[in-house]
Amino acid sequence: MRHSVLFFCLALQSISPEGARHMQAGVEAHKQGRVEAAIAEFRKATETDPEFAEAFLDLGEELMQFHDYGAAVAPLKRALELQPDLDAAHLQLGYALLSLGYASEAIPHLERVHALEALGIAQIETGQYQEAVANLGAALVKRPNDPDLLYYLGRASGLLSKRAIDTLVSSHPDSARAHQAMGENYFVLRQMPQAEQEYREAIRQRPEIPGLQLELGLVYAGAAQWDKAEGAFRTEAKRQPGSAEAAYHLGTALLQQGKTHEARAELERAEKLQPDMPETLYSLGKAASLDGDLLLAEKSWTRVIALEKETSLAAQAHFGLASLYRRQGKISEAQREMQEFKRLQSAIEPPRSEPK
Amino acid sequence: MAATAPIFDLKLPRGLDFTLQNSPTPEKYLIETMPGGVALFDYNNDGLLDIFLVNGGHLTRPMQLPEKFDRANPRYWNRLYRQNKDGSFTDVTEAAGLATAGAGNYGMGVAVGDYDNDGFADLFVTSYGKNVLYHNNGDGTFTDVTEKAGVAGGGWSVSAGFFDYDNDGHLDLFVTRYMEWDTKHSKTCGGAWRTYCPPVEFPATTNLLYRNRGDGTFEDVSQKSGIAAKKGRALGVAFADCDDDGFMDIFVANDGMQQYLFHNNGNRTFTECALESGAALSTDGKPLSGMGTVFQDYDNDGKPDILVTVLPREIYALYHNDGAGLFSARSLEAGLGALTAGSSGWGVGLEDFDNDGWKDLLVAQSHVLNNVEAIDHSLHYMEPPLLALNRNGRFEHADSGITIPVAGRGLAFGDLNNDGWMDAVLTVLGGHPLVLMNRGGKRHWLAIKLRGTRSNRDGMGARVRVNRQTRFATTAGSYLSANDKRLHFGLDDSNTATVEVLWPSGTRQTLKDVRANQFLEIREVEQS
Repeated sequence: MRHSVLFFCLALQSISPEGARHMQAGVEAHKQGRVEAAIAEFRKATETDPEFAEAFLDLGEELMQFHDYGAAVAPLKRALELQPDLDAAHLQLGYALLSLGYASEAIPHLERVHALEALGIAQIETGQYQEAVANLGAALVKRPNDPDLLYYLGRASGLLSKRAIDTLVSSHPDSARAHQAMGENYFVLRQMPQAEQEYREAIRQRPEIPGLQLELGLVYAGAAQWDKAEGAFRTEAKRQPGSAEAAYHLGTALLQQGKTHEARAELERAEKLQPDMPETLYSLGKAASLDGDLLLAEKSWTRVIALEKETSLAAQAHFGLASLYRRQGKISEAQREMQEFKRLQSAIEPPRSEPK
Repeated sequence: MAATAPIFDLKLPRGLDFTLQNSPTPEKYLIETMPGGVALFDYNNDGLLDIFLVNGGHLTRPMQLPEKFDRANPRYWNRLYRQNKDGSFTDVTEAAGLATAGAGNYGMGVAVGDYDNDGFADLFVTSYGKNVLYHNNGDGTFTDVTEKAGVAGGGWSVSAGFFDYDNDGHLDLFVTRYMEWDTKHSKTCGGAWRTYCPPVEFPATTNLLYRNRGDGTFEDVSQKSGIAAKKGRALGVAFADCDDDGFMDIFVANDGMQQYLFHNNGNRTFTECALESGAALSTDGKPLSGMGTVFQDYDNDGKPDILVTVLPREIYALYHNDGAGLFSARSLEAGLGALTAGSSGWGVGLEDFDNDGWKDLLVAQSHVLNNVEAIDHSLHYMEPPLLALNRNGRFEHADSGITIPVAGRGLAFGDLNNDGWMDAVLTVLGGHPLVLMNRGGKRHWLAIKLRGTRSNRDGMGARVRVNRQTRFATTAGSYLSANDKRLHFGLDDSNTATVEVLWPSGTRQTLKDVRANQFLEIREVEQS
């Protein structure tokens, strides 16, 4: 509206006195938050001066503010007929059309004014995922933590990924990558036997693909088949000795089976490969505690707390420390950690109808 | 490493024709997935274990008020089966006076104890509705004495157990209650698949503690003992003296929240201390779906440990007793991570099935949701029971001999054929009970029957040490069920044993060079 008012001031000399009065009254009503009155005044201005583009723009903008996107389209289009280079009208018309579901029609207007976020959303709607990812990514640079932007970028990326996978599966249905993709799908759906089958076929065809054994291991872990998970993670860790993720998962699989000494070694290796990963440190604390190395357990969990501070993993680390100190007979330290655990627990998960 | 041969043979003895009628409905009334209990006890003192099975009831769609459950219909009776000398069973329900379960009572569990010290085991049956205490008249019949005893309770009672919390020689009674729920206020959960709701959807409630006055009546001391100060969602209960102070403590398995350990203060009050003791949550500080529980020493260090069965991905919780009332979570070290992460456990026991001197683990398994496979393809509604043999404190999967998946719930332990090898009976929703007869072997054993004089007559609560093993005398534990009161010990290759008994009265007795392979009755010395 501010732009429009500016245009209005500059263009006063080309408008009739009656039109100018309506425009002025419309601006005043707008300032006072009387949207309906503003709409009425701007509408009268368009009737009095049907060739005055700014009047149509202001009417359109005011209708947009009133969320009457359908009604806003006509005056905005008229504004652009009268003055095709009126960027504010392009922007508003783009928004209005997008809001009404006419994404394809909205795109040229949004492109013209580089409204990247709205353009990205419109491109998602029209299936131009790659372009949407580029535009939303660029918008995110300017507003890094905007939740709407993050959501739409995630959605665009996901759809782009899905399209690529769909193409892969339809064009090369028996390829290792297609089986891998199908395995991922089944895993998400928790259909573990089918996921296992797909990964096994992918591995049979191309055992050299990095990550396949890791993903197969995660399938086994999801089905609580820890011995098989250990085997898959071990193969992956052997193939990728520099992978902290493989070492971490192997460590957790070993830990789950009570092989605490081996678990500790793998988790220490994961920590060395990629230091200060809270999940690795937490599991390392557990393994060390069960392995009898209380110093290492204390050090690992203390580090988790330093890194995580107020998260549920930090709460778990406090709980672990409380158990550890209790075992050592350090009662006051145990009580302190338990208090911290309780505090974080209630902060993270407030009880519903929990007992007294 | 699996055992080379199955431990059990699956039997359906002649005459044992019970079917657990839980009556599942599309309304998904929570009670229908929770029964039913089983007790192994010798009601007529003929030396053979008999079997009592608790039935659910009939549920209509939807339930009409007042709730009736059709318990007068023989299809829904609880049943008492007397064991005959040839191992077959005879249904004596009607003759014993146990056919009447109460019109508004949907059956849950059973506890066994000689509450009046007359030498005959009495029965306490829990229900959604009212609970019933049956006094054993000693002539093969029972009398419903609930009203006189004052133990009807109400609400939704689940597991129960007799124990002597004040060491006065009379067995008291603890009753767990699940939640504030009734069929009128029932609801379903789930999206595309209608499911039973998780416990957190309903308000928590209190447990009940009844003190035995010694005159056939009980006093409800839930409030003044401190038990009712904590609301929970209790399903299982077990007793042991965890800190060696001479008084029985109570462990309560709660569903979907922290577990409770009620420490006996020795002055007829209790203090809940699970969190501070380290027996409240998982290794990672997460709440557990506690269902069944057992409170016995698994690692032969003389101190009672706690095992809790839970839902998949939680791992059955094992709390090792570190002494001085403190516990540490040892599920992973003991091998339960790999054995139990994908399973749902209910009835549970730590018994020495291979008589090697270490208590093994047997669990009745099945998911709560009868449509879980449609919701999560990696889980199973029906599962075979889990048998894990104890190898120096670490559990290893073993071949139970039972591979068929069932909807297991209650589980009771005892030596049904008096051969010195522990058997078990497992209840199955909608099906016949599984009788797991131990195949036996060559190792030695000793079974002990306690005869209290100053303590309660069956010596419930006594700590009995045989060579390196310790057991606390109890019929309680597991889920909804009651075990043989005799204490069974595997002796491995020892021909003799040293037996030490610490009675609830404080009396200590030691017997040396006790011959193996016998049923030994130990009478409490009358003077210290």
